[in-house]
Amino acid sequence: MSASAAQPASTHFLHGLNPLAKLLAPLPAMLLLIFVRDLATPLAFLVLAYAVLLVGARLTVRTAVMLLLVVPALIVIMTVGFSLWTDTAGIAHDVVVLRIGGWTLYGAAVLIGLATGLRLAAIVALALIAGLTTTGQDLARSLVQQLRVPYRVGYTAIAAFRFVPRFRRELEVIRQAHRVRGQARGPLAALGRGFGYMVPLLAGAIRHAERVALAMDARAFGAYPDRTERHEVPVRARDTVFVVLLLAASAALFAVFWPWGL
Amino acid sequence: MPLLRVQDLAVRHDGETVFAPAGASFTVRPGEVVLLLGPSGSGKSTLALTLNGLIPHDIEAEVSGSVTVDGMDAASTPVARLATRVGMVFQDPDAQLVTGTVLDEVAFGPENLRLPVSEVLQRSEDALRRVGLWERRADSPDALSGGGRQRLAIAAALALGSPLLVVDEPTANLDPRGVDEVFATLAEIVKTGDRAVVLIEHNLDQAIGFVDRVVVMDAAGRTIADGPAADILRTRAAELHELGVWLPTAALAALRLRRAGYALDPLPLTPAELRAALEGERRPPGVSTRFAHGATGVDTPPLAPRAEQPRVATPRQPHVVSTHFPRGATETAVAVRHLTLHRGTTAVLRDVSLDIRPGEFVAVVGPNGAGKTSLLQALAGVVRAPRGTVSVGGVDLRRIRDLTSRIGFVFQNPEHQFVTHTVRDELAYGLRHLPADETDARIDDVLRRFGLEDRADVHPFLLSGGQKRRLSVGTALVAGAPVLALDEPTFGQDRARADELLGLLTDLNRDGTTIIIVTHDMQLVVEHASRTILLDEGRVLADGPTPTVFADDALIARTGLRPPPLRAALRGLARHPELDGVVRLSDLPGAHA
Repeated sequence: MSASAAQPASTHFLHGLNPLAKLLAPLPAMLLLIFVRDLATPLAFLVLAYAVLLVGARLTVRTAVMLLLVVPALIVIMTVGFSLWTDTAGIAHDVVVLRIGGWTLYGAAVLIGLATGLRLAAIVALALIAGLTTTGQDLARSLVQQLRVPYRVGYTAIAAFRFVPRFRRELEVIRQAHRVRGQARGPLAALGRGFGYMVPLLAGAIRHAERVALAMDARAFGAYPDRTERHEVPVRARDTVFVVLLLAASAALFAVFWPWGL
Repeated sequence: MPLLRVQDLAVRHDGETVFAPAGASFTVRPGEVVLLLGPSGSGKSTLALTLNGLIPHDIEAEVSGSVTVDGMDAASTPVARLATRVGMVFQDPDAQLVTGTVLDEVAFGPENLRLPVSEVLQRSEDALRRVGLWERRADSPDALSGGGRQRLAIAAALALGSPLLVVDEPTANLDPRGVDEVFATLAEIVKTGDRAVVLIEHNLDQAIGFVDRVVVMDAAGRTIADGPAADILRTRAAELHELGVWLPTAALAALRLRRAGYALDPLPLTPAELRAALEGERRPPGVSTRFAHGATGVDTPPLAPRAEQPRVATPRQPHVVSTHFPRGATETAVAVRHLTLHRGTTAVLRDVSLDIRPGEFVAVVGPNGAGKTSLLQALAGVVRAPRGTVSVGGVDLRRIRDLTSRIGFVFQNPEHQFVTHTVRDELAYGLRHLPADETDARIDDVLRRFGLEDRADVHPFLLSGGQKRRLSVGTALVAGAPVLALDEPTFGQDRARADELLGLLTDLNRDGTTIIIVTHDMQLVVEHASRTILLDEGRVLADGPTPTVFADDALIARTGLRPPPLRAALRGLARHPELDGVVRLSDLPGAHA
């Protein structure tokens, strides 16, 4: 057991860590980043998160798409969006990037947009450390095992993970069915349609959940205050090391860049 | 001591007025396989839920009488303790799987019982090997077929180690291949004799082979028969049939043949027995040798030996139809010309051409992924077919603006189609372009025809299952559509509900509505559809009168479908050429007597 667990730890160490460690270690940095306004600090944390992920995570297609497409796209969209949105009254007008008729895009607005984009990207990238290397089931297990969440709650959550793809399919069918009935167009009608999908979706969901609950009870779920756990999600020395290192790195980055001007 | 004793059991659900069951009594001994029979509404599934205490512990209900499992009173023992004595397998495999891998799924029960890890693994392995899923233990349950998921549910029940297994309509949600898988697995489990089984199942043709005893409940939910399966079914078949109890197709056929003068004594229960019984006696004097083909009401050509007359269209050249849309609405209800349809990058339909005439009852069948639903959706405009490929009532589908007045589409789950808050509004929704006085008359007419008059102001979701289904058909037809397309409308329903719907469709068809139905249910197809279109890999493989298509055993086998039971019993009978080629009960002599 320990040999097989140590094997992936050497190369893709993130997958061998306790989910809670991966969630907790970047959390202080994520919270502090919300109050940062400069460019360098979020950029530094973005680099840190990418470094951890590229070294420690198995590079699947999903991981690659997230890191190489989704996060960069997020930065671009936020930058563009916020530079167009920023109120030009309170910013410097000395650098002009673009002028179309009476409308001007100032360099300062672009910088604000970029800072916002990077800040969000850094927070997302830090969250991905746990998000890309943890299964929902392991998270639920460690909540039960380490945080003493009642196992009835934890395992019901595991069962609920299985609902998601089912509901996605069901929603698609409902949309089709409503299209067949003929629909009005326009944004207000679209809002109404959205509500129209909710009723059958919820009705189906409740019925499904009731059946699943019966099936779980029929298999002695909740018979005792605890249950046999085949998959231990232990807290090891390496989890502590990871948390301490990431916290230290975060503290160091904040100390170096000190973005609050105090 | 019996493993299970049910005594004068009566259950009334919250909000219901009648008890069902209402006085059921029977016992099950270790190793016995008991089939529970009874008409719709007799409370079979409710009874099943009392056997491990889900009623009344999880589902509120008024219960009288008693259920005793291994000496424990089910009403006062916690479900979790009863679970070690009674394992349950439900109808919908998706609603009883809770974990991410096959092995975790089977281990779930033993883990709840706090067994040591080694014991959990041992039990899981034993259970998975018994249902043939051990090799797939690392897979996600989602990667299994429907039949595979149901076998997994059976393994999960076995792993609890309970000496009694309660199995409630385990094949209702499965395609023919899955049905075979589950029955093979059940038969295998029964063979070792270490588990008693209480089975509720409408597919008696396959179940009857391994059942020891039947317990029959009447419509009121009282036990009226309890004894060896063969005895009761053979001696009281006619009475049970009158009650609305499911019977094996072979027995139903034999009852009809008896009316035509065949002796068939003792009553055959399986296709093999029917075949043997027929070969053992002569044709009665009143029955013509050409009976089967003369009385079908369908234009069935005489069946020539296969070598001389291949009836199957080659994949590239299906079924000869003219390449232009026929003129006028009277000739065809739906016409398809060279329809090729892509989903993503894969072609789901390839060069499909066919004509459906007004008043036909057409079944579209084929293995999973053959393109059945895609074809139906293209016909009804649910997915957009290319211009010039589909016409309804002689008009190109792409030019039709109010599609709902030309063709109605009914989805598998009626609830998906409801968009308003009352039954009346639901019908009015399809008529919102018409003046108000005209809509009222039409709505009242539909309410009356579909038996929903006293439910007009009820929310559609509060209707009973059968009423919901009728309303969904009503909404599809209210705008005056002469064609009705239905996508697997009986999937996941019990036989009684399915029969009710088919009765409704048959009535509509008789009144002139063209019916096009996609289904896995071969018995439904042979009993109701005058014409069958067999699809495979997006191509029309065969298209013709239902009996003709099902007469080609090689073709049916190749596409993974199952020949209807009557076909297996009656094909090539040496002494009864008059019965060769009959696939539906109503074509048998004696059916119209």
